[in-house]
Amino acid sequence: MKIKLENISMKFGDFYAVRNINLSISKGEYLTVLGPSGCGKTTLIKVISGIWKPTEGKVFVDGEDVTDIPMEDRDTGYVFQNIALFPNMTIKDNVGYSPRVKDLPAEEVDEIAKGHLELVKMFDRAGMFPSELSGGEQQKVALARALASGSKMLMLDEPLSALDARVRVELRYEIRRLVKKLGITVLHVTHDQEEAMAVSDRIILMRAGGIHEVGTPLDLYRNPKSIFAAYFIGETNLMECTVSGKTKTGRTVVKLRGGPTVRAAKSDFEKGDPVVISVRPEHVYTASDGIRAEVIGAVFMGVYWRIRTLAETSDYIDYNVSSNDEVPQVGEKVYLVFNKRATKVFSRPTEGLEEAIKLE
Amino acid sequence: MSLLKWINDISNNERSRKAWFSLVCLIFVIFIIIPSVFVVLKMFTEWGIVHEVFKDPVMMSTIEGAIWNSFSIAGLVTIIDILVGIPMAWIFVRKPFKGKRILDTLMDMPLAFPTAVVGISIVMFWGIPDGISIPGLGVVVSPYIMLILLHIIFTYPYMVRSLSAILEQIEPNYETAAMTLSASRLTAVRTITLPLFRAGLVTGTILCFARSLSETGGTFIALQMMGVDSTFFTGPTFIAYMKAEYGADVAMGPMILISVLMIILALLLLVVVKVLIMRFKIPVKKVWPQLGRKVSRGAVPKLKDVFSIAFLVLMVLLPTFYIFTFLTQPMADIDYGALLSATGISFLIAGIAVAFNIIFGTPIALYIARKRNTKLGKILDSLVNVPLIIPTTALGFSLALFWGSIYAGGSLSLMMVIFGHIAFTFPLVVRNIAGAVEEVDASYEEVAITLGAKPFQAFSKVLMPIIKSSIVAGAILAFTRSLGETGATIAISDSIKTVPVYIMDLIKLHNYTEAAFCSIILIAICFVLMFAVRILVNRGGNRA
Repeated sequence: MKIKLENISMKFGDFYAVRNINLSISKGEYLTVLGPSGCGKTTLIKVISGIWKPTEGKVFVDGEDVTDIPMEDRDTGYVFQNIALFPNMTIKDNVGYSPRVKDLPAEEVDEIAKGHLELVKMFDRAGMFPSELSGGEQQKVALARALASGSKMLMLDEPLSALDARVRVELRYEIRRLVKKLGITVLHVTHDQEEAMAVSDRIILMRAGGIHEVGTPLDLYRNPKSIFAAYFIGETNLMECTVSGKTKTGRTVVKLRGGPTVRAAKSDFEKGDPVVISVRPEHVYTASDGIRAEVIGAVFMGVYWRIRTLAETSDYIDYNVSSNDEVPQVGEKVYLVFNKRATKVFSRPTEGLEEAIKLE
Repeated sequence: MSLLKWINDISNNERSRKAWFSLVCLIFVIFIIIPSVFVVLKMFTEWGIVHEVFKDPVMMSTIEGAIWNSFSIAGLVTIIDILVGIPMAWIFVRKPFKGKRILDTLMDMPLAFPTAVVGISIVMFWGIPDGISIPGLGVVVSPYIMLILLHIIFTYPYMVRSLSAILEQIEPNYETAAMTLSASRLTAVRTITLPLFRAGLVTGTILCFARSLSETGGTFIALQMMGVDSTFFTGPTFIAYMKAEYGADVAMGPMILISVLMIILALLLLVVVKVLIMRFKIPVKKVWPQLGRKVSRGAVPKLKDVFSIAFLVLMVLLPTFYIFTFLTQPMADIDYGALLSATGISFLIAGIAVAFNIIFGTPIALYIARKRNTKLGKILDSLVNVPLIIPTTALGFSLALFWGSIYAGGSLSLMMVIFGHIAFTFPLVVRNIAGAVEEVDASYEEVAITLGAKPFQAFSKVLMPIIKSSIVAGAILAFTRSLGETGATIAISDSIKTVPVYIMDLIKLHNYTEAAFCSIILIAICFVLMFAVRILVNRGGNRA
């Protein structure tokens, strides 16, 4: 189903939980709504599914204005963060709830329930009660219950955040596989950027009630249009600096605090412009010359070591070392260089860097 | 401070903790449980005089009638409370609206009023009492219906409170989930929320039933004002009437019999009710999607809300506050000396009873909350309910027999009344504290102890500040309950004049205006006191 939002705002008292949201979602698209806590992610999908009526704006589904249709007639599947399986019913009755309250014949209800339990491979648990299942199993049942409504759009409200790390990773691929098979349009709310990158066709990055940036996971990672996107998606080193010129090929040359100059990506900035450059740790290397820095810590991340240094520019600069390589000692002096093509240049925010990347 | 240090040190010793807890249990059993049911034993030792009663057909039919009245009124009142209580609980928990806090406070007021006062107020509102010039509605002349209206006032807040407490704990997402799955609001509530409601329904039913069965003061006064106090009886008023009319010695047989019958029937019935509610299944298979949608939107739910609030205002609040119409009358001559001494005695009794219950009830509440699954925990949990379920008049009578059989002198009657009030307010304090402790994660105290706190310090510095408001709520509930109690007091002693007893005496003499003004003064004192307690407690909270 196609979903379109026009100027959606939701106000609680004087506080806008979301403000002026415009968005189009195509049929069968897997969209994640990503953002820090309190940015309005959940409000947005609650408005889309009809649980809340927006204070302003309209929601269209397949071209039809559904803003005033109550949630029970919306036909939108919704999976809750706290799972919310009905504790007084068996797994099968939970999954068969939607066809049953639509008063379908008993055999049909039975068939739909069985079919969807098989879909999530939980048929052998049909007679159990929710409390007898593990968290991951419960969320699978909740997914089956939402799908059994026959709805072609599904809202996932942080469905994995209450689960163990391992289960979380397995289940997210399972969900994507299922909804893609069924051709369902999905809005998946999460604050976990890794989860968002792993499952979505497109990510909506939200901040303080508004849409901050939209794009494919790769786009947002490689070419973020804002400091906040660069900071929130993936990890990055941010350094305040000033443009000191351009190379012949058009690359920006910037002067970091304390003097050293580095070359960064192409940009339209002029000499003297205050800017911030962003370089991800995997694009920082050690060399025989470059920015002088002192190693102040090393953390083993599993596949690689993350080395933290304090540079002569008074910035902390992180870089990665393969787990097979030798790890520098704390206190060791190193020289750092950047992969200039992967170095993004942003205008220095007038409100200050701290404020620009603040999560709340 | 050195006493505190001594308690802290001694609490560090496992054996002294055990000794203290054993002492508490012993006091609980000897001072509360055994006296409460002593009358049952007495029936066997005094079988001769009880047997005499069976041979008196007039007496027997009066007893049967009284018991039937008590139980059928309690049953009907409870059913009405459930029907109007469920939508009201919904309004309180799920609906934000203006004036909710005020309504919330108002609803508890009938609990804070002395029952005798409510008795006067309600007969004035619904009936046509002799000797009162303030006009009432004058629609109710049947004592049976009057008592139902009266008992609804005493029980309704309990029902709404227990249902709200459970509803508060039921995840609102269940209903939302059901509705995103195409269920109408009505279907969602019927198939999901109501089935999860049973525990609250059991608590509410027990509280309402027990409260209605116990009610003496208001009931007796209502019957007296209607002029039927010697012809129409409930169990408790029968005991009170017999004692006043013939004296405890002459009427011993019938009094023992009706007390034992009330106790046994009440215990039996409550077990049955519990089983019935837990077994009864709300049908969830069949649905009517169209009908469900129709009644879930628009006028029907609005009408339901309006009806619920109208019920609270018209059936509970207005009749309760009707007594204030006396303020339009010329002030009566009040015997201030007598009123003050009665007030003093009432406050003394309530104060000692509440203090006793907090000291000796807290360890039991802690044990019930923290060790509910142990054998002793379960036993204590059910035993605590016993004084709650037993009609207070029967309890008072039983208690008087128990202490009377040990010490027959008269000068200790004040102490016996205090014991009585301790017994029936004990469950209120323990239940409140246990409920609060259950909500608090035990790891707080464990952390305190790992940081070097002694067990008593962990309790007094960590747990107590967290549950303080519940302790205060329980204490206020128990205090007002004690202040309002009539039945137990008159069953224990003729000479102790608490305020409700004093007001009842005034009514007997048809001094309505004086009684009303005394009531208003008492209510004013109560509220000032409760207000002061709240402020004191809040101030302490801010400092911490």
